[in-house]
Amino acid sequence: MQQFLSELLPNLMRRTPEFWKAICDTLLMEAWAGSICFVIGLIFGIILTVTKPGGIMENRPLYQVLDTIINLFRSIPFIILLTALMPLSRWIMGTAIYVRGVIVPLVFGAAPFFSRQVESALAQTDKGLIEAALSMGSSPLEVIFRVYLRESIAPITRATTITAISLLSLTAMAGAVGAGGLGDFAIRYGHDRNMIDITWVTVILLVLAVSFVQWLGEMFARKNTH
Amino acid sequence: MIELTHVVKNFSSPDKHDASKSIHAVNDVSLKINDGDIFGIIGFSGAGKSTLVRCINLLERPDSGSVKIDGTEMTQLKPKELYAARRKIGMIFQQFNLMPSRTVFDNVAYPLKHMPKLEIQKRVRELLSLVEISDKENSYPSELSGGQKQRVAIARALANDPTILLCDEATSALDPQTTGAILQLLKDLNATLNLTIVVITHEMEVVKNICRKAAVMDHGEIIETGDVFEIFSNPQHQVTKNFVRTTSNLSKIENLLRENSPMVQVKPGEVMARLVYIYADVSDPLISFASREFDLVINIILADVEIVSDIMVGGTVVIFSGDYAKIQQAIEYFKSKNVRVEVLKDAAISE
Repeated sequence: MQQFLSELLPNLMRRTPEFWKAICDTLLMEAWAGSICFVIGLIFGIILTVTKPGGIMENRPLYQVLDTIINLFRSIPFIILLTALMPLSRWIMGTAIYVRGVIVPLVFGAAPFFSRQVESALAQTDKGLIEAALSMGSSPLEVIFRVYLRESIAPITRATTITAISLLSLTAMAGAVGAGGLGDFAIRYGHDRNMIDITWVTVILLVLAVSFVQWLGEMFARKNTH
Repeated sequence: MIELTHVVKNFSSPDKHDASKSIHAVNDVSLKINDGDIFGIIGFSGAGKSTLVRCINLLERPDSGSVKIDGTEMTQLKPKELYAARRKIGMIFQQFNLMPSRTVFDNVAYPLKHMPKLEIQKRVRELLSLVEISDKENSYPSELSGGQKQRVAIARALANDPTILLCDEATSALDPQTTGAILQLLKDLNATLNLTIVVITHEMEVVKNICRKAAVMDHGEIIETGDVFEIFSNPQHQVTKNFVRTTSNLSKIENLLRENSPMVQVKPGEVMARLVYIYADVSDPLISFASREFDLVINIILADVEIVSDIMVGGTVVIFSGDYAKIQQAIEYFKSKNVRVEVLKDAAISE
């Protein structure tokens, strides 16, 4: 087996420790940035939903400020965001390279996207449910947790899946500023040194990862749809 | 007691600079609804009745005016007090508004979260048996029929022992048979729980069926209010007349007249008239008596008797034939017996 793999994937098998590290780095970036994005995006998505005109805690100035900030960061290409946010990264994380150095730009790149996704997931909640909950004496905070979030588990799960997948492609780009990870690994060896086997293994690995995330999300969403 | 005084609610127009285009959803409405009443608010869609009912539990905050429930001014309550007050005002909706991700049990338990678990279970079961749907406890709303959904919604609305139940077009999405069953349930709940029920509807049938008092709403204003029997038997306003007409067979005569149907042809000397009994004892053999007394042939071509608020309201469309002077006497006789007479066709005049 070992020999077969060495013949099939000569370049990769000579760099397995590095390959494992790349996988770990990618998972680390995905996990850290993903978790932070999830929390921030959920909070922003909720704030957008309840403060928008006609929302249960209507607040035009807050809505407009948040709306503008999200649009601003959504319109900056990630590769530019990566370099532009280096000073901020240094200030918050103490470094602008390695996994630690790209968490900040990854969050800035993916959280606005996820906020929008959450906003549109929550917007699917039937207005009648909100009205019914209010008529039963629920406070706005209760409406958020017991109606908006509870009734939107499936669409929020789908939004999370989409964001997780797009975050994965952002982590590959983050390799460009020395974050490491699979993207960086594939570029440095697969492209720069023309080691085709490394490119292919990386691609296959990423396809599997995306399919797994998609499957997991879909299963969870379906379990919560009645 | 629900007391609305000079309640006004406007919705701003999409055009911010032109205030004249804003919509007066509720325009200076004053209304009193007594405890234990079943009160109907009827109006065509867009009349502002849904907005008005939402002013009662402040889902819509009135621009001005006062909303008092059992003496408490709702518009002055602090948020927390308002949430508590709303728990005592149940509300059901046209689209039921059950939470699709929760079972029937959990939907009814929604407003009970302040209770200990065991008590919630007891209360939910009690409520489900009250609305006769205990067997669906573990179903999801998507598995229920419209009538079943509304029963669950009623159970949920009653969870915190409210004194008032607001019904916003609660039967409009149901078929006639289910509508009847739900209305009967509301009637029973009114009797057993002494629940004050406010019914919003565009169907006169519904008002006729369960309401004791009603208000007719048009363009944000209340144009007529009183006992349902009163409104039914003697509508004042044109809109009210239209509503009453929608439920009565007697209005069909107008279509027949317009189509000049053979059924409504009168020979020279004959008179066709609509007789509407108001306060009269329908069992009085008026027609038979008039026929004998004035020596007339009275041909009944349409008749309709309805029971409104447990009182019979009805009328007939008849053709009188015989001596013309006697016909006039007969008409005077009917009028003296509190029967409203409307001459639809007078062959002596039309010839």
